[in-house]
Amino acid sequence: MPELYLRLLNRILTPLLLLLAIYLLLRGHNLPGGGFIAGLMAAAAFELQILSRGHERVRRSIGPYLNSGIGLGLAIAICSGFAGLLNGVFFKGLWFDLHVPLLGELAVGTPVIFDLGVFLVVVSVATSYLLGLSRVSDSAAPNPDGAPSPELSDSFETDPTGVADDSRVRNKR
Amino acid sequence: MLAASIILILVSGAVLYWIRPHKRAWAGWLSTLPPLAVTVWQLNAALPLLSGAGSASGGKADLQNGTIIAEQYRWVSSLGLELSFRLDGLSLLFGLIISGIGVAVALYTHYYLEDDERQGYFYLSLFAFMASMLGLVWADNLLTLFVFWEGTSVTSYLLIGYSHRSAAARGGARNAFIVTAGGGLALMAGLILLGQAGGSYSISEIVASPGLTELDLYPAILILILIGAFSKSAQFPFHWWLPGAMAAPTPASAYLHSATMVKAGIYLLARLHPALSDHPLWMWALLLFGGTTMLLGAVFALRHSDMKALLAYATVSQLGVLTTLLAFRSEAALLAVVVGILSHALYKGPLFLVAGIVDHATGHRDLRRLAGLRHTLPVTSGVALLAALSMAGFPPLFGFVAKEALLESVYSAGEHGDAAGWLAFGAAAVTGAFFVAYSLTLLWEAFLRPASSDEASSSPAHFPNHSGATPLHHPPPSAFVAAPLILVALGTIAPFFLKTLSRLFTPAAASIAAQPVHVYASLWHGFTPVLLTSLLAIAVGILLFLNRSHLRRILSQLPDNLRGVVLFQDLLDSLYATAQISARFSQGYTLATQSGVVLLAASIPIVVALRQINLTDLFPSPLALPGAPETILILMIGVSAYLTARVTSRLGAIISLGVVGVSVTLFYVFFSAPDLALTQLLIEVLTVVLLVLVFTKLPADIRPAMQRWKQAGNVLVALAAGAFGFFLVLFNSSDAMQAALSISNYFLHNAVPGGHGANVVNVILVDFRAIDTMGEITVLAIAALGGYALLNAPRVRLPSPTPDQSEAEHPTESEGADPVAGTTRLNIDPPTDPKVK
Repeated sequence: MPELYLRLLNRILTPLLLLLAIYLLLRGHNLPGGGFIAGLMAAAAFELQILSRGHERVRRSIGPYLNSGIGLGLAIAICSGFAGLLNGVFFKGLWFDLHVPLLGELAVGTPVIFDLGVFLVVVSVATSYLLGLSRVSDSAAPNPDGAPSPELSDSFETDPTGVADDSRVRNKR
Repeated sequence: MLAASIILILVSGAVLYWIRPHKRAWAGWLSTLPPLAVTVWQLNAALPLLSGAGSASGGKADLQNGTIIAEQYRWVSSLGLELSFRLDGLSLLFGLIISGIGVAVALYTHYYLEDDERQGYFYLSLFAFMASMLGLVWADNLLTLFVFWEGTSVTSYLLIGYSHRSAAARGGARNAFIVTAGGGLALMAGLILLGQAGGSYSISEIVASPGLTELDLYPAILILILIGAFSKSAQFPFHWWLPGAMAAPTPASAYLHSATMVKAGIYLLARLHPALSDHPLWMWALLLFGGTTMLLGAVFALRHSDMKALLAYATVSQLGVLTTLLAFRSEAALLAVVVGILSHALYKGPLFLVAGIVDHATGHRDLRRLAGLRHTLPVTSGVALLAALSMAGFPPLFGFVAKEALLESVYSAGEHGDAAGWLAFGAAAVTGAFFVAYSLTLLWEAFLRPASSDEASSSPAHFPNHSGATPLHHPPPSAFVAAPLILVALGTIAPFFLKTLSRLFTPAAASIAAQPVHVYASLWHGFTPVLLTSLLAIAVGILLFLNRSHLRRILSQLPDNLRGVVLFQDLLDSLYATAQISARFSQGYTLATQSGVVLLAASIPIVVALRQINLTDLFPSPLALPGAPETILILMIGVSAYLTARVTSRLGAIISLGVVGVSVTLFYVFFSAPDLALTQLLIEVLTVVLLVLVFTKLPADIRPAMQRWKQAGNVLVALAAGAFGFFLVLFNSSDAMQAALSISNYFLHNAVPGGHGANVVNVILVDFRAIDTMGEITVLAIAALGGYALLNAPRVRLPSPTPDQSEAEHPTESEGADPVAGTTRLNIDPPTDPKVK
């Protein structure tokens, strides 16, 4: 059972960390920060969630979006590259000034959008690794009789794309 | 318009996928519209050619060197890569076959895959294939052609492997892909050589330039191109992939493996015929390989009782015939090629489709189990009758015209004192006899023969069946039969419109010859030796047909080792074995050896480089001593690194490793690299958390007994890697490097004006070097997929932390860990009994 203070900390810290990540992402073009750092920061926030609430609950809430997050990030990055084609060359930056009320002039360009793609990929990749590793380490909990847990053998039955289907591995046995 | 047609086909494939065709009764008819439109448009574009004064020469006068339409789009001009298309006689013939047969196949698919949820996927692949094929035959640039050529390989892989749950389909698709894509590599080399040697990548210019055959490079070019063409067109010794590809759904077999894709090699040979054929090497290579293929296919077709396998070998044989004909340069031979291509498409396509209908209606397509289908499938049997007789070459069907043209051309070559002509004539006559034999076998056993008694008794009782014919699950809908019916009807009336068709044939033959030709196909040549041979072949064929059970017995006794599939499988197996050995070498058993190999390999270049420069130059001349903060950091890093290696508890190791990381972060802060510091810090935090997550589940004792020499080796690797990093940094920051090669200044000066950003590191990442970053995040995504598969693999189980089990078993087990599975610290056990090894 996760510790009480950790859960309390999580309540306060996770939103702050996520806000910080977005802040780092947005200011990255002019000040230290950027998509990669922001992505790691957001992953750290999710890691806090995993530690305090257990990986299963986090998997239920954000797990389904991770793979699509990777794809979406790559798609955004590539599209921002193709936008450069309008300017003549693949990945050539396109810039335009937006006048945003309250914030004033805001320079928006395809490199910033590209950075958003980087952010999405990094946060999704890192979080999916964190989730996967916590699951593996969880399922390796003491298991005296050496038999695989029922959850594992279930997923073997239903997962046709797993390692089990690799005929070469099967032949070796 | 040519490019627009290709795009139209591609888009309509996507549309067909999107409308979920298996739920729409009208989807079959809808799917015929795009290929039909392309067919009509081609006919319309070629109207001046087809109607021009009744003769091809009249048509040619209107059209400069046979070009009907030419289009060009810029792509990568610096590489000579252009999307250029050109429609002439030959590409018109192929284009009409592709889109025309495409109409029938598209309609047929809807009924063949009725209620199949993945029908839309099949349509998508089929139309993508059709687009690639059209691009291939319309291309006027060697590289454009090659791109579409590879497109057909990939889409055909998808089509053959459509039933991806069947091992036969997966294996057939894999074999076909390895052979055709491997041939494609050879072809690419050949085409590039040809383009460089010919001075142009434009096909029309290459074909027009003389003297290519006298080049020193000619044999290399020819051999490479022949490998590509032979592998695609299933010529000996690559012939075996085609029967293996019969695991594809029947519409794909009919379309790819008889009418279109396997003819791509033939098309390429025909296309380059003017440039390359004037050489004995060309003639003998095509004659020998084509002749072998034609005999081999014809004989082996009789061995098989599966309708599709029989038809596949028959196709191999026919492709051999076409290759053999291309060995010759006479007008008659080129005309025979053209007629052969069209007639084959018009009888083999329907036969495949008929086999699919039979399969669909009765549940199997084995000739031994079929009988008397003429009672239950009358229209289909009629189609089969006409198509099979055409395949056998009975007059007055289209196949007869093609066979006459074939025999006539090689006979006249022989008469002109060409030994090759006689060889080809003999082979063609023998092949013709076998054509007759297996056509009749197919026709008789499936459709005509009365059912034998045991089959009649095995027919289900609820199915009243007086004739004893093979029972049907359900009769085919009429639109299903319509597809082969249309094709066979076209093939049957064709011989009576040869004069009209000549306007299609002659320009096509002229494109192969690159000059006007003056020969015409005809149904009746008079009583010539050729006709006698033809009749003789029919008689021998009938004899062979009557003795087919003997022949089958002899053929089935051939040893399996001679079969291409078996040989290829052996080759693949040995390849996998080699890969495993090399993986064992380079990737080691444990993470430690693996990283050792990588680090050592990385240090070698720096050692080589350092031998060539004066080491004293690298050090800055007034050697400044580090200040107090740096000294403290260096000490901290050194001590904690040593502790990491020596400490006995895992937790201690993690913590001291974390100290190393944070100290390095502080270094970045001192030297004002905030971005690096932030990144490093975050990575450190995540790494420590990850390691804690995993390590707490591992046995608490960190140090399994390690041999002395292994320890020494690890120290050596560590030293080498450290020296590598040290000298690399030194080299980069040396005055000479900074002055001569540094690009830092460029980035510093251009970040704000060019990149609109004051954070130079970020501007480099997302703007100056955005493509690199793109590659990196792609690698990240791929790594995530790999990690996902590995971490979610059902059988991964960490060693249990109870010390008695893990310590007793693991030293031996991890030594023998399977490099294929890629996990060394994780045990992979079969789910039923984890103790079985």
